[in-house]
Amino acid sequence: MDSRVRELREAQGWSQGELAERLAVSRQTINAIETGKYDPSLPLAFRIARLFGHPIEAIFLPAAE
Amino acid sequence: MPRISRVSRNFTLAGLAALVVAIGAGRLVPGGLPDFVSGVLYGLAIGFLLGAVLKARLPDPCDTATPALRRRYLREFVPAMAAYVVLVMLSVWLLKRVDAPALRAVVALMPVPAVALALRAIMRFIRDADELQRRIELEAVSIATAFVSLGYLTAGFLQSAKVIDVPASAAMIWVFPLICLSYAFVKVAVSRRYA
Repeated sequence: MDSRVRELREAQGWSQGELAERLAVSRQTINAIETGKYDPSLPLAFRIARLFGHPIEAIFLPAAE
Repeated sequence: MPRISRVSRNFTLAGLAALVVAIGAGRLVPGGLPDFVSGVLYGLAIGFLLGAVLKARLPDPCDTATPALRRRYLREFVPAMAAYVVLVMLSVWLLKRVDAPALRAVVALMPVPAVALALRAIMRFIRDADELQRRIELEAVSIATAFVSLGYLTAGFLQSAKVIDVPASAAMIWVFPLICLSYAFVKVAVSRRYA
């Protein structure tokens, strides 16, 4: 799944470690989400959406079929 | 990352040093080193060299767990394993001096509570890790367990065909260490998929 997590994080000026801390997950998890290697669970996706103030569907984009 | 490679290099040096001392002293000392001392030295060598490989291959622990979780895990796991090392040596030493079966049972079981505490620390770590880390841990543990089970099944067939003859106590004691060892290697492969 594609996501805009990296773009939104960089717009806030946060490092991966800082975002990880705000979401109470590990840095490797943030990196895996940003590189599309891991799709977060719905609860984590909602936490990310709430943190950035965007709806989920504006952050996570289904990969082209 | 320089920090990882430095730790890895120090582990390699410590491991090689222990190996050199074990082999060198074993040859120089007349009659060889006592079994206990050479066992500890070879154990340290294997431990450090394995640690060096894992340190170089696994992601930095700071990247895979939140600081609070890592602190709690170390606070629970390290004392449990330290107690285990002391108790296992004490138990081996006492078993040579105790004859009554009931007392031998108590002495032989001395290290078990420490291992149980270490396992509790591992389970609490997995339970409270974030969702990706939990997936990596569970995948690594289940694949490692499957490998070890397959190995034991294979050896079991060979043993019942009387092709090999592994002492039962060695076979039983090595289940848990073998699962830990293969878990470490499988985790390297699994976590690289998400790196």
